[in-house]
Amino acid sequence: MTPDATIFADVTSPDGYLLVLAVILPVIGILLTMAFGGQYVERIALVLLLAGLAVAIAILAAVLRNDQSLVYVVGNWRPPLGIALRADGVSAAMMMTIAVVICATGLYARGEFGQPDANVSTRGSYAFWILLLGIWSGLNAIAVGADLFNLYVALELLTFAAVPLVCLKGYQETIKAALRYMLFALVGSILYLLGTALIYGGYGTLDISLLAARVQPEPVAFIAAALMTTGLLAKTALFPLHLWLPPAHAGAPAPGSAILSALVVKGSFILIVRLWFDAMPSLLTFATAQLLATLGAGAILFGSVLALRQTRLKLLIAYSTIAQIGYLFFIFPLASGDSASTPWASIAWTGGWLQLFSHAFAKAAMFMAAGLVAEAVGHDQIPDLGGIGRALPVTVFAFGLAGLSLMGVPPSGGFVAKWMLLSATVMEGQWWWAVIMLVGGLLAGGYVFMVLGKALSTNGSLTLRVPIPRHRQVIVLAVALCAVLLGLMPLQPSGLLMIGRPEMHINVLE
Amino acid sequence: MTNAGTLLVITLALPLAMLCACLSERLRNRMHLALALAPLPALAAACFEADGSTVVFPQVFGLTLGLDEPGAMLIGVAALLWVTAGAYAGNYLRDKPNSGAFAVWWLMTLTGNFGTFLAADLPGFYLFFTLASLSAYGLIAFDRTAEAKRAAAIYVGLAVLGEALLLMAFVLMAAGVPSGSLLIGDAVASLATSPWRDYAMAFLILAFGLKIGLFPFHVWMPLTYSAAPIAAAAVLSGSAVKVGVIGLIRFLPFDSAMPDWGGVLVIAGLFSAFYGVVIGITQANPKTVLAYSSVSQMGLLAAALGMGLSAGDSSAVLVAAFSASFHVLVKGGLFLAIGVVASTRRSVWLVLVPAAVLALGLGGLPLTGGALAKLAMKPVMGDGIVGLLATLSAIGSTLLMLHFLRRMWSGSEQTEIAEAPALVWPWLATALAAAVLPWMLFSSVTYDSLRSALAPAEIWEALWPVLLGALASLALWRWSRLLPRIPAGDLLAADKGLVHLASASGAAMEKIDEHLREWPVASALLLGLAIILSVSTLVGR
Repeated sequence: MTPDATIFADVTSPDGYLLVLAVILPVIGILLTMAFGGQYVERIALVLLLAGLAVAIAILAAVLRNDQSLVYVVGNWRPPLGIALRADGVSAAMMMTIAVVICATGLYARGEFGQPDANVSTRGSYAFWILLLGIWSGLNAIAVGADLFNLYVALELLTFAAVPLVCLKGYQETIKAALRYMLFALVGSILYLLGTALIYGGYGTLDISLLAARVQPEPVAFIAAALMTTGLLAKTALFPLHLWLPPAHAGAPAPGSAILSALVVKGSFILIVRLWFDAMPSLLTFATAQLLATLGAGAILFGSVLALRQTRLKLLIAYSTIAQIGYLFFIFPLASGDSASTPWASIAWTGGWLQLFSHAFAKAAMFMAAGLVAEAVGHDQIPDLGGIGRALPVTVFAFGLAGLSLMGVPPSGGFVAKWMLLSATVMEGQWWWAVIMLVGGLLAGGYVFMVLGKALSTNGSLTLRVPIPRHRQVIVLAVALCAVLLGLMPLQPSGLLMIGRPEMHINVLE
Repeated sequence: MTNAGTLLVITLALPLAMLCACLSERLRNRMHLALALAPLPALAAACFEADGSTVVFPQVFGLTLGLDEPGAMLIGVAALLWVTAGAYAGNYLRDKPNSGAFAVWWLMTLTGNFGTFLAADLPGFYLFFTLASLSAYGLIAFDRTAEAKRAAAIYVGLAVLGEALLLMAFVLMAAGVPSGSLLIGDAVASLATSPWRDYAMAFLILAFGLKIGLFPFHVWMPLTYSAAPIAAAAVLSGSAVKVGVIGLIRFLPFDSAMPDWGGVLVIAGLFSAFYGVVIGITQANPKTVLAYSSVSQMGLLAAALGMGLSAGDSSAVLVAAFSASFHVLVKGGLFLAIGVVASTRRSVWLVLVPAAVLALGLGGLPLTGGALAKLAMKPVMGDGIVGLLATLSAIGSTLLMLHFLRRMWSGSEQTEIAEAPALVWPWLATALAAAVLPWMLFSSVTYDSLRSALAPAEIWEALWPVLLGALASLALWRWSRLLPRIPAGDLLAADKGLVHLASASGAAMEKIDEHLREWPVASALLLGLAIILSVSTLVGR
């Protein structure tokens, strides 16, 4: 008898087509641009951004309304023969975050990559809008992917759309940074693909829910899981595999940096969670969870201290990203503990995802604010930014709000996430992660106030090279406010993030 | 929302509305004229809503506001000080180019300050506590001198540390509540039986101890109060510090005796009480002297609360709140007095005579609020060694206050503190309130009648430490040259080593990071990580 048949009862849900739309709308945009020519790219992209936002809202509404996952079985061929797209509560929330950040970045980027003269197509803006749409499609595909090979394709789409974003300006050092990024990401892809091949050889399927039932703790699974995870860690730039991140994220144009730091690194992180919690829950041991979180702790300490030592604003923000990624990995030891009935019902599950969402908003706002500052004064050397607070008050305010979220100061999503993760350390008796989180918060306070203190000081004569229009500053503020609004959630496990999660308990070995 | 809680909401809504008005540059630049209006709803709330009525906002993470008796007492006097200091600040800011920024920081600190007195749930308290702490940064750094910048940097570093400690304390407290409720009352009630009781207590005492400047966390106080503009120093030392006092009052479980933790508070508090005096008398700047006096006074308060905690005596709560209320007005008032003396050439006696009465009140001069505070505190402190030390600290306080008066007097001939011509009435109003209010509040905190406070025996008992202090201060005048010159922030003078260590370890981490980001190293790590990960899935199977 096959246990698969009972576990897997996926049929396309009434609103399932929305998932297809979420993935292919951006691709349609790319095709339209090719058909109509580059001079229309901005307008086409903006229309599609709005459409994509509407789709994300519709998906979130459908998941909330039905209180279960949204499924689309492509061509009605059920797995393992066919492939399925599936959006559970986490995917829906993720796609909503993606949509908001991408739309805001798109509006913001009009100032940099806009096409005021509709008859001219410039290479930079053409590439930017295409890449933005490509990244969106890749991220959505990761969010709804239910099969490891599908996810691989989505991941590659994401990587290949992200790399050129780094060197859009065409300076030599950004090209070098992009190459670094690409090479390391490729190594990651190869490792992931290798693991996928082993899995397929061993279990005859790549569908995540089928794997969950089939994978046994045996050598082929150990090796496959290690290879895939390592590959994904390289793409997530988890310490100590972060060599490519600072130059790439600091070198990209501001809207690009915002997307890369806020969203792209999270794509591979989502996959790691899917791997250990969904596809191979029987493999996650206490030691593995501790190992992943240890790397996270290293990221927090190194990333934050290095951020404190930067003199360039964008590099500081990039190192802060390395640190903030570290917190995400606390989800492994803290959500897999035994104080809740299932990992999804644990406070750490909600805390971990909330950290991801709020960091996405906060970091996007920070990079966009840094971009406005750099545009206005022509550089981003922190020691020479004295007085920028008077010149660009809204921008600096937005930067400050985002910074407070990174520090975990209320009201902000960062605070709620930190509270939840700290609560989990207390419940699980893993106090050592609490120490790291508190130290990380202190260091974050250090680098945030380092910038704010400079920005608010009045000595130093600062003249703006170009005036910054008010509406661009307001966009940055709106994104930062999203991080603040997440802080209004109640301090308990979120029902949305439990929707569509399997009803099983992971028994972590201690 | 019940009708009863409306004033509580307005208390926070008015300053928030004024902050929103600051978005308009025109209004922002005139906002300093309205600063004295912002605390008025708080004053009304203290008078009319001290009946424990609460307001809940379920849509904002369950924020709950409420006002109990100690909270009402503190928010009432705090509001008075914010009114007078606000009027003083409005005058001080008249011709300042960046008065708008000052007004914004002021209103934010005020909102946070009042919010902590009102908050009845853990996240809400934390929100306002943080708002008050971090916004004070802008007030301290306002003068932009190198001294102000250093003070602000040290202040914000310690403030962020305090927040981290408090966050941990709250998380531990919340984890111990079986029902999952986040109300402060429920958290404190389950603290005694919580499995994390001792950890929670340790973090609570550290966090609030830092806020009220218990040794060795007091270092930020002298720097901050010396660097901030007078009006800001007045509200920070008078009112903002009481955020830590209300914290201890609200969160320590006075219903269950905890001799260990009570003892810790008593020892730390009494040590600070004397330490503040010893360092304070070596200081020349009157603002710094007042700051050390705060260290000393807050230490005494902590000791009183510690005695209450040891004995499981919840009457200590009201006594501490009463004593803290007196300190709000005296400390705030004396800072305003410094400003008035420094800018007024005429009628100095109008300042010095009331200032002398107020200042000596801290030493317990009979018929002042300070004497009432000491009288109320006496049963809490007991007759033992702690009671004796508390009496001795009154001698120290007198000595320190006489030193302050002398420094303020000679400061009036110097110009270093001089700001724009200061308003005199805010100072006089604060002094009047400090003289009168304790008499009105006294009967609500103790069973003693006012008559007992006027008994000759009590008067003598309050008088002799003051007389001894006066004698000691004659000796101090005579031999003050022999005292070492200790820089403000005493222990911080030794921070060079720490700074060096921090920057050296930072540089070392930067070096390591450089190596980690080399290709060969990173590739080796990648392979190594794959191997370790696959091994880790085997461990423990």
